[in-house]
Amino acid sequence: MTTEVLRKKTGRYLCGESVPAEKKQIQNWLSCTGEKDNSISPEERAMIENEIVGQVQAYVASSLFIPKAEPWWKKITAFF
Amino acid sequence: MSRNFTPEQTLIDKLLVDDAAAFEELCRRYCFSLFNYCMTKLHSKEDATRIVRNIFISLWEDRHMLPVDFSLSLHLYTEVRKAVIQCLNNKLNRDRDTLRIGEEIIPGFSAIELRKAKLPVQLSANNRLNIQDRSGLKSYEEQWWNKYTPSINLKDLTHVFKNMLNAW
Repeated sequence: MTTEVLRKKTGRYLCGESVPAEKKQIQNWLSCTGEKDNSISPEERAMIENEIVGQVQAYVASSLFIPKAEPWWKKITAFF
Repeated sequence: MSRNFTPEQTLIDKLLVDDAAAFEELCRRYCFSLFNYCMTKLHSKEDATRIVRNIFISLWEDRHMLPVDFSLSLHLYTEVRKAVIQCLNNKLNRDRDTLRIGEEIIPGFSAIELRKAKLPVQLSANNRLNIQDRSGLKSYEEQWWNKYTPSINLKDLTHVFKNMLNAW
């Protein structure tokens, strides 16, 4: 398979226009989890975890301090 | 790594009342496995980090709209699969990534590699059958008609008799 063919296949898959064989191929690829990388040390793992959680926490904290304005439909549903 | 043993449903319930600590605990439970999955698929740390971060951010944003029978693991893995394929498509649309994709990702789409997706299920089923059949196989060999006439079994004999009856 070439990158061009794969690009077309993924494009069709995302648009929901892929044929069943393509869909199955992509879903099988997504389901292949046998090749897990066990070379990551616990320290490295903790570092990655902290990095991701730190980024998410920063967003969560900012959203808690500066909450978004409620959309009009939420206000109306709360009223009823 | 998980830091406590609070049930997941309790954490999800706390998430609904804007408990940031419960959310952090959920993040810590799942972020590395999601990251590892993205890494095996996309071979890019930046993409994996971005995908996992965005999934958790969207979970936080949509926390008040979660369905009643919400399964967090199911939701996260559905989202990560969608994000991986979306990211792959975006990479394929950029010319600078195509060479790397051709070397690292495309071999994963070969028939041999894709067969691995079903391998654990087949293996476990085979193993289960083998364990169950071991005793059955022994008794089959021990039966006198199989012992003395190994090439003819009872099924063949009944088939022959049926044919004879039909002909008669």
